[in-house]
Amino acid sequence: MPGVIAILCRCCGQIDPAVDLAAVREKIAREDGVVSVEVRESLCLPEDGAAIEKAVRDSGADRIVVAACSPYGKAGEIVSTLSRLANRPQIRLVDIREGCAWSHREDREGATAKACDLLRMALGFFRYGARSADAAVPVHPACLVVGAGSAGLAAAVSVARAGYPVHLVERGAAGGGMLRMISRVYPSDAAADEKLRPYLEEVERNPRISFHPRTRVAAATGFAGDFKIRLASEVGGENVRVGAVILATGAGAWLPRGLYRYGELRNVLTLMELERRGREGKGAAKRTVFIQCVGARCPELPYCAAMCCPSSIKNAVALRKSDPDAEVTILHRDIMMPGHILERYYRNALNAGVRFVRYDAEKPPVVSGGAQVERVEVFDVINGISRTIAADQVVLSTPLVAGSDNARLSEIFRIPLDRYGFFREDYPLHPLETRMGGIFLCGSARWPVSSGEAVTQGEGAAAKALAILGRERISALSMGRMPEGKFGHARVENRFCTGCGNCVAVCPYEACALQRMGPARVSRVNKMRCRACGSCTAVCPNGTVQMPEHNARAVGAMIRRAFAEEDFR
Amino acid sequence: MNVQGSAGEPARRTPRVLLFACRWCALIGADAAGRGRFPLPASFRVIPVECAAMIESDSVLRAFASGADGVGVLGCHLGGCRFNDANGVALKRMETLGDLLEAVGIGRRRLLLSFGTGHEGHQFAGVLRTFYAELEPLPPLSAWRGPLLNTPTFR
Repeated sequence: MPGVIAILCRCCGQIDPAVDLAAVREKIAREDGVVSVEVRESLCLPEDGAAIEKAVRDSGADRIVVAACSPYGKAGEIVSTLSRLANRPQIRLVDIREGCAWSHREDREGATAKACDLLRMALGFFRYGARSADAAVPVHPACLVVGAGSAGLAAAVSVARAGYPVHLVERGAAGGGMLRMISRVYPSDAAADEKLRPYLEEVERNPRISFHPRTRVAAATGFAGDFKIRLASEVGGENVRVGAVILATGAGAWLPRGLYRYGELRNVLTLMELERRGREGKGAAKRTVFIQCVGARCPELPYCAAMCCPSSIKNAVALRKSDPDAEVTILHRDIMMPGHILERYYRNALNAGVRFVRYDAEKPPVVSGGAQVERVEVFDVINGISRTIAADQVVLSTPLVAGSDNARLSEIFRIPLDRYGFFREDYPLHPLETRMGGIFLCGSARWPVSSGEAVTQGEGAAAKALAILGRERISALSMGRMPEGKFGHARVENRFCTGCGNCVAVCPYEACALQRMGPARVSRVNKMRCRACGSCTAVCPNGTVQMPEHNARAVGAMIRRAFAEEDFR
Repeated sequence: MNVQGSAGEPARRTPRVLLFACRWCALIGADAAGRGRFPLPASFRVIPVECAAMIESDSVLRAFASGADGVGVLGCHLGGCRFNDANGVALKRMETLGDLLEAVGIGRRRLLLSFGTGHEGHQFAGVLRTFYAELEPLPPLSAWRGPLLNTPTFR
């Protein structure tokens, strides 16, 4: 017999002191549609778990209300077990432990009334609550990687090695990104070109990777499993269809114009310029002073770019090694070298004879000289004295900043940017993922990282993309980030839609769009893009858009029952 | 719960509060408040929602009509929404609703807007207690509630 079965959990006596379960049972058993009320010692116990499954089967109930702990407790698991029963029952979980028994220990009467009301709310919900119909689309087994820096190359190679075609798009003439501009990479001190070569060779050799140099993404539509991408280059355009997108657009360098007489004195360089000189075999000087945190960790750019301390130390050690008489000083605010490998790298620099002087951001060092740098004056905060350091070359460590193309790409792919212009990741629960399903981030597109870390992230993003590409079809309800899948998706009742466009304006995922239907225009929800936030349902003037799982009538039924028990008293 | 006033005065009781709690933030706070055994008045009910953005203005009004003395809309902190800043839209909508509540005489004070302030157990308990302290001096909104609302047609 279809109906509701209510299962009450005593939680091994945790509930009883505050809630009179016998009274709750008696009252709920009298409610419409309730076929059975079971009170169990603890649903966590295996025998009780088996017993309720049997009870549900025997009663033939198609709706189950479980009154137990909160969904963040064990109850979440119990619900997912029950939802796998053969008749796919509708389940509602009522939290009578955390939200009732434990919060209202002093008020037994109130807590009992609350438990009754919460159960009645669930019963009311069952009258109108429905389920979203699922939809599935075939997955296009190809991947788009935007940016051929170290992160993008690693991602492209990983996806291609797994057997899927990759479109690797690069706006420059060749791959390599920032590794093309630097001499060596920390902490291994391997030559950057050596590090890059296997990837570039693989891109050339692997037939699954089609490399598109001097190309930009011009437009993108679609959703996870089926993106339609328009690529534009000088020689023309091309349309590709892919199942997943990996953004590896990297970061940009920042020029410290007007700081420390950069651009005014000869031999005041940025770290990137020193790297370039290093590649050309130049850049050696007798006396070098590095200044850290130039333009970073200040009100305008408050973040630490994390790669400048190791890079400076790498160059400082290289200068000392190439010329043991060279004097190398690093002026820093704090040395940021996390992890045991970088810490060892830092110790190594101390042993190599690199001098570290700490300065205060309030009293920054002063660079002086005629046409050429002559000295740097700095107040050493550790020793409390002013120092004058003779210098032939001053290197300014500037942070990496967001790539110049990020704003344009964020419009195209509808990925929000953070306040510094980097792509916003779905922090912290879903690393490398974005708000849009099927679009992943890696490398300095999301935050400044070293090349080694960019490779790690590129491979991570590739793994996440492969999880989509490896499926034959992708279903809308599986697109949620939680193990239990997505909450549902919005649904439009065409008959009543007035085509006002409120939902289109408010949808954060561009899932709603107006479509022509006969003489009228009606809104249509793309189930694959919809993430079930419910924004559209709230702005719809006549309730045409609804979340079946959370529709207005079901919520109304819950609201009307919220204080029913108190009214009866 | 009901404290009988002296003759002629209406009975006073603890206010009834209906909370819509985002499951990514305030619902976790409510859960943590329970686990932390923070004593709270038993006259509040929580309706979990996926996102604060799915709370319709109608639902809030319906809650007032169904006997709630206060309604809370609890979401994630602004900028920390899991749904692309949908909670900012929700806040805007609820603030507009506050104007309406003010205009019809229910009063803005009866609508609690809390975004990101109820994620921890003690925060949730604090927000709720402050709200109760705000509601207690106010007359019960549902005092007039008669049989009309319980008629089958309305249900």
